[in-house]
Amino acid sequence: MICPRCETDKVNLMVKSPVGNVWEIYICETCTYSWRSTESADKTDPKLYAQSFKIAPNEIPKLLVIPPIPPLKG
Amino acid sequence: MSPVATQSRALDEKTTGKVFHDLRSFLKVLEAEGQLVRIKEEVDPEEIGAAGRASANLKNGPAVLFEKVRGYRNPVVTNVHGSWANHALMMGMDKDTPVKEQFLELNRRWTKYPVPPERVKDAPVKENIMTENINIFEVLSLYRINTYDSGCFLSKACIVSADPEDPTNYNKVNLGTYRMQVKGKDKLGIQALPFHDIGIQLTKAEALNKPLPIAICLGCDPLTTFMSSTPIRYDQSEFDYVGALNNGVPMKITKSPTYGLDIPAGCEVCIEGYIEPRVRECEGPFGEFPGSYSGARLQGVVKIKSISYRNNPIFENLYLGMPWSEIDYLLALNTSVPLYQMLKETFPEVEAVNAMYTHGIGAIISTKVRFGGFAKAVAMRLLTTPHGMPYAKIIIVVDEYVDPFNLEQVMWAMTTRVDPDKDVSIIKNCPGMPLDPSSNPPGMHNKLIIDATAPKAPEKVSRDTELLMAPAGTEKWEKIISQLQKQSKN
Repeated sequence: MICPRCETDKVNLMVKSPVGNVWEIYICETCTYSWRSTESADKTDPKLYAQSFKIAPNEIPKLLVIPPIPPLKG
Repeated sequence: MSPVATQSRALDEKTTGKVFHDLRSFLKVLEAEGQLVRIKEEVDPEEIGAAGRASANLKNGPAVLFEKVRGYRNPVVTNVHGSWANHALMMGMDKDTPVKEQFLELNRRWTKYPVPPERVKDAPVKENIMTENINIFEVLSLYRINTYDSGCFLSKACIVSADPEDPTNYNKVNLGTYRMQVKGKDKLGIQALPFHDIGIQLTKAEALNKPLPIAICLGCDPLTTFMSSTPIRYDQSEFDYVGALNNGVPMKITKSPTYGLDIPAGCEVCIEGYIEPRVRECEGPFGEFPGSYSGARLQGVVKIKSISYRNNPIFENLYLGMPWSEIDYLLALNTSVPLYQMLKETFPEVEAVNAMYTHGIGAIISTKVRFGGFAKAVAMRLLTTPHGMPYAKIIIVVDEYVDPFNLEQVMWAMTTRVDPDKDVSIIKNCPGMPLDPSSNPPGMHNKLIIDATAPKAPEKVSRDTELLMAPAGTEKWEKIISQLQKQSKN
């Protein structure tokens, strides 16, 4: 399975529906995007996911850190 | 005595003030008042966000309770604070109470602070607890709120945490609302901005390389949720303010089962866990209160250790999008009132503050002007309050006879009082709100002050301005015409 957002293949099953086995939610290990199997294709299909919301895996370490990590005391 | 004090005293006499100790009792009142609707048919989880948007689009839109959500066990309620009618009912006032009156009443109650809470041992939230095989989806019916959110989010979680350097100090216990991304059955992301109280506490914990225990309370009574997103001083207690806003009736708190943190006794769900020290992970985007998506950032990570919950817990969450949506109603007066109170401490001339626009990014101050330049100085004071410093970006100052909640009056003041050459000031390179898409770089603002007051000496006064006052008899005729109009409708 490919992540619709960052298009890496490290995708895990997060959870199955607590009632009725009617959906699953998957999460991407790389960018933490998650989606439900029953959502529309623009949220689940890498080809249809909006380009402006795509994220390149090599850009993730460069994202702004909130809040900044302070120096250790003592 | 100022008009604020005079009108508030009148309200004090007529307001009985119903007090809510949990969400359920408030939902009952909303339903009885026609301000809650039930969706009995099963819905897909992702329809809930659209319903939240839709209800906030309506004039006096109701709360919406979804009884059955596909694949889940428990109900969801949204738009609980999403109209002025619901906001008034939250304070035990008539649902038709005008916004300005709600502002005045909140100010009157604000001065009752502190009202310490009542501590109770047993609480409904302790009816069930999950400590093994933790699965947040078993308790909460989670859903994506906006199309390009990076997953399911908690948008209305009231989070309790203590100061890591002073953990037993009650006044430094923080209750705050911060967005949380669901990242696993027992894992969450958290946005802790540096100028928020939890950001201060997380930085202290991380300097010691210690985890920061937190209790995430969902589905609280409406004034607790209101106070959780109200900017107050670091060493002031949100619980003591809830008692004040309850018109002097203490709220009930209890110790959380796992970490012994003080939590609202009436909440539906309490998730306990800790923020992992010195760990950041990709979080977002998320559709945020300025009406646009935040970018993805490296933010904190929470490990869940237990989930306590009432029988049949109701998951309360809010929709936020292009203003106005539920979050704008929630943040409107809880931003205006503390800013007014802080300004009033230094400048008793201030009559009212309307900071309802995007959590105070836009604010209008009404004040008496003692001398030339006074209005600008008052605006600068707003920019040095803890909340105004990062948030406030556009400040309009009007004379005391202009109602800042009446935008027609404010526009009149702008069009007839402002000389753009001397009354518009830009203050560069100030702290800013990073979620404001115009903040450049994120976290920095240039501030705009518009002085829409009439000039006073020693400022150059080019000509005297005599106000056009209403002719004698206007009030009498308002009553007569209004009465005739009502009769003609019947």
